[in-house]
Amino acid sequence: MNGSMLSLAGRIWLALVLVFLYAPILVMAFMSFNASQYYQLPFDFSWKWYQKLATNTEIIDAAIRSVLIALATTVIATVLGTAAALAMFRFEFRGKRFLQVMLFPPIAIPWLITGTAMLIFFYGVGLDRGTSAVLIGHVALALPYVIVVVTARLATFDPTLEEAARSMGASPWMVTRRVTLPWISSGIIAGALFAFAVSFDQFVVSYFLSEPGDSTLPVLIYTAIRKGFTPEINAVSTIIIVISMAVMLLAARFSNFGGER
Amino acid sequence: MANSVASQDRLRILGLLSPAYLWLTVAIFLPLSAMLYFSFLSDVPFGDTEWRYTSENYRAFFQTSTYAILLWKSLKLALMVTAVSVLIGFPCAYVLAKVIKGRSREALFLLVILPFWSNSLVRIFSWAIVLRGNGVLEIGLNMILPFEVDVNIMFSTPAIVIGLVHSYVPYVILTSYLALQAIDDNLIDAARSMGASKLTILWRLILPLSLPGLLAGAVLIFVPVVGSFMEPRILGGRVGTYFGTVIEDQFVAVYNWPLGAALSFILLAVVLLILAVSSPVLKRAQT
Amino acid sequence: MAEVSVRNITKSFGTLKALNDVTMDFPDGGFFGLLGPSGSGKTTLLRTIAGFIFADGGSIRIGEETVENIPVEKRDIGMMFQNYALFPNMSVADNIGFGLRVRKVGVAEERRRIGEALDLVQLSQHGDRKPHQLSGGQRQRVALARAIVTNPRVLLLDEPLSALDKALRVDMQIELKRIQREIGITTIFVTHDQEEALTLSDKIGILKDGAMVQAGDPRAVYHSPVDLFTATFMGEANVLSGDGTAASLLNTPEANISVPQSLKEDAICLVRPESMTVTATKPQDDGQSYLPGVLTQRIFAGAMTTCLVQSGGRTLKVIAKDHDLPEMEAGAAVWVAWKHDQMFSVPRT
Repeated sequence: MNGSMLSLAGRIWLALVLVFLYAPILVMAFMSFNASQYYQLPFDFSWKWYQKLATNTEIIDAAIRSVLIALATTVIATVLGTAAALAMFRFEFRGKRFLQVMLFPPIAIPWLITGTAMLIFFYGVGLDRGTSAVLIGHVALALPYVIVVVTARLATFDPTLEEAARSMGASPWMVTRRVTLPWISSGIIAGALFAFAVSFDQFVVSYFLSEPGDSTLPVLIYTAIRKGFTPEINAVSTIIIVISMAVMLLAARFSNFGGER
Repeated sequence: MANSVASQDRLRILGLLSPAYLWLTVAIFLPLSAMLYFSFLSDVPFGDTEWRYTSENYRAFFQTSTYAILLWKSLKLALMVTAVSVLIGFPCAYVLAKVIKGRSREALFLLVILPFWSNSLVRIFSWAIVLRGNGVLEIGLNMILPFEVDVNIMFSTPAIVIGLVHSYVPYVILTSYLALQAIDDNLIDAARSMGASKLTILWRLILPLSLPGLLAGAVLIFVPVVGSFMEPRILGGRVGTYFGTVIEDQFVAVYNWPLGAALSFILLAVVLLILAVSSPVLKRAQT
Repeated sequence: MAEVSVRNITKSFGTLKALNDVTMDFPDGGFFGLLGPSGSGKTTLLRTIAGFIFADGGSIRIGEETVENIPVEKRDIGMMFQNYALFPNMSVADNIGFGLRVRKVGVAEERRRIGEALDLVQLSQHGDRKPHQLSGGQRQRVALARAIVTNPRVLLLDEPLSALDKALRVDMQIELKRIQREIGITTIFVTHDQEEALTLSDKIGILKDGAMVQAGDPRAVYHSPVDLFTATFMGEANVLSGDGTAASLLNTPEANISVPQSLKEDAICLVRPESMTVTATKPQDDGQSYLPGVLTQRIFAGAMTTCLVQSGGRTLKVIAKDHDLPEMEAGAAVWVAWKHDQMFSVPRT
């Protein structure tokens, strides 16, 4: 095979992988607009499942709960994570390396283990399953991502800019607000979007920590799927995937992820 | 003087770091310790239940072969998913990093890893729609093919593997892409100037140089798949009993938390072992 | 404006003694260079005066105020950084106005002073540009304007010109000196370039291994260095001692060398290359010392020509104007001569 044949084969392979990645999602979205409950073809366009969705208070409540938890997670994890990233950037201290390594377990340990461990511990200290338990868990999972993303952005920051600001009489707080934060703002926004995505898409930890009847959207969907699913679930799943992809596209924009500009 | 400045710095460090790390301690590290403690109890130590320290939860794992067989089944599944993901993902990463140039590369790369950041439960669910008997795949194939086929692979191991590969293949594409992109094109040109064939270049140059990234991606897939339970449940049905689903059952169905804790901890030990073995490779992939 | 006084400053980083009992005075309105090889502590000293580093011991005074316990932002100094440290997200005018806004001088006053500062550095048309749209020299001017716009008590420059190419550097040296004279600000700068230090400074401090080796007038430091390190660091020098005693110089046959009376017995005698000349014939004895030798190389470099002369087992370097040298090729027998008072000595250590 010559070079151009090889590169053509490579492009075809890439195209097939993209089909593999997107086909089921598109099929699901497609089917949410199909009138037939049993996914019968030919396709018969209908808004019916979305209309049903609008009157399903259980799903709407869960959706609102999911969004609120994701927003709270975003705010808490972004503030705490940015503060921690700034401390690691500004100061040299003993144990810094250890603290950085400590960010690894929440990301690397399977959520099944983390989730069940949280269930045991929270129950043991008297915190029952429910929204606060879920929120505490989500923030912990999102924090490492925020710290990593903001730290990566800080790595491109020239610390003499802070020194220059101080030499002109700016207080530490002013230095942070006027010089450091503007520079890393894109990193903070990306970190916040990651945090939102981690929480909004989180199923495993929510599953162990939420109370039946008071659960987040992914947990509700899981229960529904296991009971036998309807296109209504397709409709809500389609909405979820559109939201989470949009959030990640934004995050990619702000974190320059994958870009070599 | 210098001391008072240092103590001021120490206060600032503490003020900035402690909220985040206290949170991680309460929500991650204390729970993991609590789980270890729990795994040595005979019953949950709440309310009026009788409980004592015991190692029977761990003995249960070693005495009956059920759990060990399930763990082995989970490990085999993880190996299978990892292997398929690498075979699919590495060429894909190579095409992205070395064949496609310019702005379209950026867009395609984003397109490849975008699903990875969307809801994994929903993506698994979408495969359930595609793969079920009389589902979209079967109807679609029968429309194209001249003969009747029966594609009912829902509730089977292949269905689980397909779903998991779909979930995790972006990992290996991401890490391999980053490693491949770091390879200077001049190296490849140099090898060609010395008369190396494409295969030699791939085997002797590109593969060794991108191996840390490839292995990092493999570990990142292997670890969560060993602990997967939602995917086998949805796509595997009755054949979808794995180590992860047994742990899930202990917490949400059987309510034998100490046994669940012990099994979770055994899983954690396996995961840590894998991470420890691969950590030199992972470290190299970072730099 | 204010004088700066540094007394017995000590600073250690772990086991490394970065500053060891350093004392130097910087009178009001002067231009001072801190010079030394890398790792000599010159930057540490500058950053200690600035307030980025707190000394372990000793005192620093700016004007009437003792400042060693005051952090940088309260010291009222202006500083220019090696890489300029211009804020990339702000325009040139906003960069210059940063310190004014911190001091809350008011919008009208702020605009007036930014305008003045831009005029001073001849960048009036560039206030709206972003730093990345400027050339290296222009960035340097903005950094300078930003450092002086608040009328600080002292201006500190960390390797101010090192990022510029040679031609631009010479222009900026002249410019820097002009602006400093115009506003009369006490200025302290750090450099590793001895020529730059000599060009700009009213007074030079030489540091080595964290200690102040010599401080004083540039001419004095150049012509009367206190030790061999300073002598050779400030410029090239031919070492003339044979076995270490001044008397041994006289032993070279045919040589006529007058050793200054003040010279100690146990000393190293030196003559700078540009103080020497090469002649084809034996020089007269009228106040000149001379040595016979063989010309080994003659290197023409435009303004000056360098001759290497082999004499009595040592190589002497002579730098002179090309037309002051006789026409001769390598291998010719020559004489190297200098005025008696051009020889100086440093103690043998």
